[in-house]
Amino acid sequence: MSIRHSNTHFHRTRASAYAAAVFALLVAISVAGLANAADDAPVSTNDNVAPPVQFLNDVVPLLTRLHCNSGGCHGKATGQNGFRLSLLGFEPDFDYAALVSEARGRRLFPADPDQSLLLTKATGVVPHGGGRRLNIDSDDYRVLREWIAAGAPAPRPDDPHLVRLELKPKRGQLQPKSQQQLRVTAHFSDGTNRDVTQQSVYLSNVPEIADVDRGGLITTQPRVGLFAVMVRFGDQLGAYYGAVPRAEASLGNTVGNAAALSNIDRHLLAGWNRLGIEPSPPADDAAFIRRASLDICATLPTADEVTAYLNDTRANKRKRLIDRLLDRPEYATYFALKWADILQNRGRGYSTRKQRPGTTLFSAWIRDSIAANKPYDQFAAEILTATGSQQQNPPAIWYRSVRTQQDYVESVAQAFLGVRIQCAQCHHHPAEFWSQADYYGLAAVFSRVGRKGGFTDAEVPTNETIYLKQEGEVRHPRTGKVLQPRPLGGPDFDLSPYDDPRQAFARWMTAPDNRFFARTMANRLWGHFMGRGIIHPIDDARSTNPPSNPELLDELAREFVKSRYDIKHLIRLITTSSAYGLSSVPNETNKDDLQNFARFYPRRLSAEVLLDGISQVLEVPTQFSGGPGVFPPGTRAIGLPDENVPMNFLDVFGRPARTSACECERSDAPALAQALELVNSTEIQKKLTAKDGTVARLAASKKAPAEIVREIFLSTLARPPSPEEKATAVEFVNSESDRSEAYRSLLWSLLATNEFLLNH
Amino acid sequence: MLRVFGSQYQNCDGLSRRNFLELGAPLLGLGLADVLALRAAGANTKQPNEKPRGGKSLIVFWTHGGMSQQDTYDMKPDAPAEYRGMYQAIDTTVPGIVLGERFAQQAKVMKHISLVRSVHHENGIHAPSAHWMQTGHFGPTLARNAAKFPSFGSVIARTNGAHGEHMPPYVTIPKSEAFGYQGAVYLGKAYNPFEVNADPNAKNFKVANLAPPSGLTLKSVESRRRLLKKFDTLRRDIDSSGLIEGLDTFKAQALEMVSGERVREAFNLSAEPDKLRDRYGRHQYGQSALLARRLVEAGSSCVTINTGYWDHHNDIEKGLETHLPPLDVAMAALIEDLDQRGMLDDVVVYCAGEFGRTPLMNGHAGRDHWSNCFTTMLAGGGLKGGQIVGASEKFGGGVRERQVMPLDLLATIYQAMGISLDTYYIDSTGRPTNIVSPGQPIHELL
Repeated sequence: MSIRHSNTHFHRTRASAYAAAVFALLVAISVAGLANAADDAPVSTNDNVAPPVQFLNDVVPLLTRLHCNSGGCHGKATGQNGFRLSLLGFEPDFDYAALVSEARGRRLFPADPDQSLLLTKATGVVPHGGGRRLNIDSDDYRVLREWIAAGAPAPRPDDPHLVRLELKPKRGQLQPKSQQQLRVTAHFSDGTNRDVTQQSVYLSNVPEIADVDRGGLITTQPRVGLFAVMVRFGDQLGAYYGAVPRAEASLGNTVGNAAALSNIDRHLLAGWNRLGIEPSPPADDAAFIRRASLDICATLPTADEVTAYLNDTRANKRKRLIDRLLDRPEYATYFALKWADILQNRGRGYSTRKQRPGTTLFSAWIRDSIAANKPYDQFAAEILTATGSQQQNPPAIWYRSVRTQQDYVESVAQAFLGVRIQCAQCHHHPAEFWSQADYYGLAAVFSRVGRKGGFTDAEVPTNETIYLKQEGEVRHPRTGKVLQPRPLGGPDFDLSPYDDPRQAFARWMTAPDNRFFARTMANRLWGHFMGRGIIHPIDDARSTNPPSNPELLDELAREFVKSRYDIKHLIRLITTSSAYGLSSVPNETNKDDLQNFARFYPRRLSAEVLLDGISQVLEVPTQFSGGPGVFPPGTRAIGLPDENVPMNFLDVFGRPARTSACECERSDAPALAQALELVNSTEIQKKLTAKDGTVARLAASKKAPAEIVREIFLSTLARPPSPEEKATAVEFVNSESDRSEAYRSLLWSLLATNEFLLNH
Repeated sequence: MLRVFGSQYQNCDGLSRRNFLELGAPLLGLGLADVLALRAAGANTKQPNEKPRGGKSLIVFWTHGGMSQQDTYDMKPDAPAEYRGMYQAIDTTVPGIVLGERFAQQAKVMKHISLVRSVHHENGIHAPSAHWMQTGHFGPTLARNAAKFPSFGSVIARTNGAHGEHMPPYVTIPKSEAFGYQGAVYLGKAYNPFEVNADPNAKNFKVANLAPPSGLTLKSVESRRRLLKKFDTLRRDIDSSGLIEGLDTFKAQALEMVSGERVREAFNLSAEPDKLRDRYGRHQYGQSALLARRLVEAGSSCVTINTGYWDHHNDIEKGLETHLPPLDVAMAALIEDLDQRGMLDDVVVYCAGEFGRTPLMNGHAGRDHWSNCFTTMLAGGGLKGGQIVGASEKFGGGVRERQVMPLDLLATIYQAMGISLDTYYIDSTGRPTNIVSPGQPIHELL
């Protein structure tokens, strides 16, 4: 494995000894890839037995496979042309009634099965909005016909039911432009099994890497990467995990001493070896101090900080920098902003004046918790189990904007468990095992949350008292059965009437062996620093959306639990990893890869960070107003308590409305409106023309233009200018009669560069 | 087929756009599909304002929610009351064509207007139908799900660009429809609509950011632009997601928009005589239509006016009484004004929504979703006026003759605008996708 050390675009300082050492080791060390040969042993089937066609195990899966019960057709809540099935067949009893009893029995006609509307529609003999789904001479047709001819027998309680799916192979390493046939075996409760490869439904999560056809045949594309194929039969799911390495790569054939690497780096290297991807070289020191300062403290390094860092010759200077940054108050402010998004500390409502004290208190509590490095399990539990007055117990303010059964379930699942369970409100989750029992069982955890007092004449009442009611139950929307509080996946909590179910839930969630809690936070923070989660999107964990590097995620989660949920420890692990220190400049092998972190993925500074950065460079803080009075001078955008502070700049650059626990609400997509804001907003022009800002200071300075230009480059781009850049800038300043205007234009032009707008 | 290759447009740094996209490297926050989509788009990207082009424009009145055809463009005066609805049919200036009585103004300019009374598609839910009608393809089944195909406005922006310098090629008033199906998808972010984000009928109507702040002179803007060109040298190949490309494109355009009078003047409604503003109607639809005319005059290629919400399941009369009169006044005034200015042959006027509404009134004096047969309106652009294409059944319901699918409508509009129907773009999977196939233009109107 060879590494090309291409030169970066601007002049580099020497790579630190630390990074170089790690890097050299990475290059030298071998880790076996995912080389488990595909297991192609034949699947046992009971070919000689021809059991009667069963509704549950034969007919319903066909309705799924033929897309009859899909969300676009008869499976949607309103059905299609008066014929409604349960989505993806998750409610067979409902489907049976729909087929047998509705429409005056015209859908099935046992006396002359071929005249059944089910078959004549599906074959297109009778006009069908969904077109022809079925051929008369197909096996699928015969199955349906046989069932109708037998009198359309109903499912019986003692019918064998589907227990699990067996997939062969389960994982594998495939060459680009090659094929792999999946075999699916259904195992039933009576011990029988049969091959259902042709009756299953398949879906690839990255068709650009590998696609799959109706018969379970995977075809890989020229593109390199990891993929998963979801397999569905009946109410069971399975997933095949595949890797498509570079065809020309020799994988994992180098040798060396793995013991010298951190576990994190070992897993990263394994990921790269798995696909034949080579990492980019380490980022230079100037890039690293800017990157780490922005990611940890949302703050640009000052010119002095950059100079000192570039001159620092100590071996562990990256680690020392990270430690310094984690001790700064901006770290807590920045991560409080992030958590205030996730915890929906929303300011919009009937009266900003009434809302603001609550949002301020909650925001301050989050900030204090992060500054104190409060263990994450304690942080989460204090929020979920909060009771009492919101004025006296700030974590109870979470219950301000999280108010309904739906809010409780979806916010908790997404924020703390990394799961999007929304689908299961109305039906079985189509791509995971979550059922309505999971959704409403979790809802039952919160069913006794009571509220009293407070200012209620508002969209979002404020200043309430949260307490545990004597009663409060949740019923399954379909069966009407009262559901006991239970965590995702069950079983029910063992509770007495005197117990607060939320306490039981918090204990379950924060237990060391919980498979969601620590992993979600590890993945969330990895996503924060690396620009992309190991599971991506970060809050959509599913067996059908697997982590790109499971061992890496497990390692981070394990370390996090072991450290007793020490958030700073987790951040140190991530930011001292080799991946975080890599250059963003791609090489041939990693330029298309977004799964393995073999280079730094650049991203635009978020709205608040960008505005604060501009304020810092121009030495003119933004004056925020809104609600009762104005914010104290020097308030940073990242320090605002809620989103209800008018500022067009923040809105066009993607400040979220805090209406859900999804970090995806924050957008970094470019838009014309952003460019217009940069080019000619009053806000930026005001900062450029302020009497006591950078421009005024530089215009009055006695320093030589060359020196000033150097300072400007350090303060904006965290690096000295190249000789050409310096010459251009000095020449421009000298050519302008108005020194203030000269520095205004120079500063503006640097603030508008991609180099400034991006963390790279 | 005509392959729309990107021109070898030289970017600020002298590196051709095509080159750096081919070098490419992806970005966080986007799925691989997005990256591929954006890259595919980028490979063919032209600056929207690369060079001024002649060409026709489109003004759309989008009836989000679904306007009732049977109370407006496809009256059934002889049907039983529960089908006929509450409105009388009135004669128009074209013998034999009747309209609903709330379209009295359009009746006067009927010779310019053609109606397609047999539009059909096969979905009855807002989101997929809105996607279908605006992209030509069945789409996502949830409103929050991302669009799969580009909107016709974005296709027009991409193929025709703006025909006036520095103008945004594609504008939505007051902003884009809530489902998110008026965007560019794999054509590239630069072809998303420019949202006005303000009500043109508001007293102090102003587009944020188009007016440069006080104290900023043109000379300074010019210096800034020159310096930016020198310093904006971050390697483009660290990103192939379209992020850097988008930033570059929009910065260039923003500098143009601010430094030129042209764009700001195009948005300046107060330059219009009061009398004309009155004629368009002092309401959001009227002033939006007038703004649309100014924008296409200045060079925008597609302006979409989103006209509120037409989902009248209950008490349809109440809803239509709010929407129909201002819409009628606005559309008639626009057609008349374009005609008087000699612009009508260069501007297609189109009124459509995701579907029509049920011919039979429901129990709540409303009409429900109906995509089996509904009407869209076309005028101008050199299309024949005063025509009726297709017909619905006796009391409405199904198509009686000449079924027209959404892609047929798009093909008709593109053809009228001079866009080659053989044009194709590379979609997110790398597949060449024709802009209208298998749609056929409505030959009766051409």
